[in-house]
Amino acid sequence: MEHTLSFATWFWLTVPMVSVVILSIITYFTESKE
Amino acid sequence: MDMSTPTLVTFIVYLIGMLVIGLIAYRLTDNLSDYVLGGRRLGGGVAALSAGASDMSGWLLLGLPGALYAAGMNQIWIAVGLSIGAYLNWQFVARRLRVYTEVAQDSITVPDYLENRFHDRSKLLRVISALVILLFFTFYTSAGMVGGAILFEQSFGLDYTVALWVGAAVIISYTFLGGFLAVCWTDFFQGLLMFLALVITPIAVISADGGWAQAVSNVGAIDPTRLDVFHEMTVLGIISLMAWGLGYFGQPHIIVRFMAVKSSGEIPKARLVGMTWMVLSLYGAIFTGFAGIAYFADQPLENPETVFITLTQVLFNPWVAGVLLAAILSAIMSTIDSQLLVSSSALVEDFYKPFLRKQASQQELVWVGRIAVAVIALIAILIAYNPQSRVLDLVAYAWGGFGAAFGPVIILSLFWRRMTRNGALVGIILGAITVVIWKQLSGGIFDVYEIVPGFILCTLAIVVVSLLDKEPGRETQVDFDTVEMTLK
Repeated sequence: MEHTLSFATWFWLTVPMVSVVILSIITYFTESKE
Repeated sequence: MDMSTPTLVTFIVYLIGMLVIGLIAYRLTDNLSDYVLGGRRLGGGVAALSAGASDMSGWLLLGLPGALYAAGMNQIWIAVGLSIGAYLNWQFVARRLRVYTEVAQDSITVPDYLENRFHDRSKLLRVISALVILLFFTFYTSAGMVGGAILFEQSFGLDYTVALWVGAAVIISYTFLGGFLAVCWTDFFQGLLMFLALVITPIAVISADGGWAQAVSNVGAIDPTRLDVFHEMTVLGIISLMAWGLGYFGQPHIIVRFMAVKSSGEIPKARLVGMTWMVLSLYGAIFTGFAGIAYFADQPLENPETVFITLTQVLFNPWVAGVLLAAILSAIMSTIDSQLLVSSSALVEDFYKPFLRKQASQQELVWVGRIAVAVIALIAILIAYNPQSRVLDLVAYAWGGFGAAFGPVIILSLFWRRMTRNGALVGIILGAITVVIWKQLSGGIFDVYEIVPGFILCTLAIVVVSLLDKEPGRETQVDFDTVEMTLK
């Protein structure tokens, strides 16, 4: 049987940690303009 | 496993490199501000990587991959909590603290900042916070040395005492000579090395497993529960693990980097570099441990924490393996040197200068700082001589203790004009006591990580005591307004 990661595992593995990097990119541009 | 010649050569080159950085920094250090804060001239990139490297100890290359290897995906929660906590710290604390410490009479240590922020002439706030730093960091440093020496004893058959002295001698030398600049630049290179190791190793092990999909499938075939992020996790358990992120706001060796950045305009760049480094490194550690489950399916490792070391030995040629193993040493050293320097600065700036030698010259203070580094390190080594020593248990209180005692104080002192010195004092004491008492209790709600109640009670204490207290003095409010104006 082929095993895969569940949606919940993918979600918690990727969304919070990737989000903080994306937020850092956004604030880098918005705050650098200021 | 013995240390091969390539590994030994790589290690020696690495250690010499650290010493050279110490010597260069020695030439750039003229006064105490240079020695404990690098003269506030750190670029954003160096500040970011040195904050990250001094934050992440051997846990990043040993503990986290080991936990993933032993239990699977339900071990990612600490990494999630730490990423969020570190981001919030960079976003809300870094810039304000950089500006405020300059407005507050150019404060160069956390106790210095707290005293100047509240114009506390009793020196009570300075002494209590410096004592807490000194006590916990001496044991923290000692525990780091024990961890490093045991690692090298077990991995390479090196004598424990030899490993302890060699590692400590190099750390003491560059910290003694070059102070903050040496610590930050060595941390920077150590951070790069850790990053390199955590990018290369998971790619190699996942390839060896036959690709990501195959690795996941193989892990599932061994034990499907290791694919489940919620396996055996309770809500309180998840909260406890994620609450590690709350610790960031109060770690003196990390927030001192914010104070050292050359201008507040560097913070956005530092935040981006720091968070990218941290998240990618955490992913590297997670995937190394996870893919290691499939790789060692036939011959499971006795000690899960050796998964990273063992993979580097079997997957790479000895020269590359030597470099990757130096990354573990980097992770350990970059934490110890920072804690050593924060302890030394507490001794000089918060005890020697205000109480013993108010008129001391800058040259004298730098040398007292150097001697303090050597003395604290020697005490740490003496404690580390007995790895079973009960005093090392104190380390278990350190992250939560600093987070609960200093975290709310730092945050509220930056954002709340009405906060008073007495509020800060009661908050620090209550936060620290809560952590110590809570840790002795177990079962039900007491299984929650002690930083949670400590952080909440410290915050409540600050708010209640400050509101009952009389308003802060005019000069304190003027400082606050100056910071607000500067940040607008």
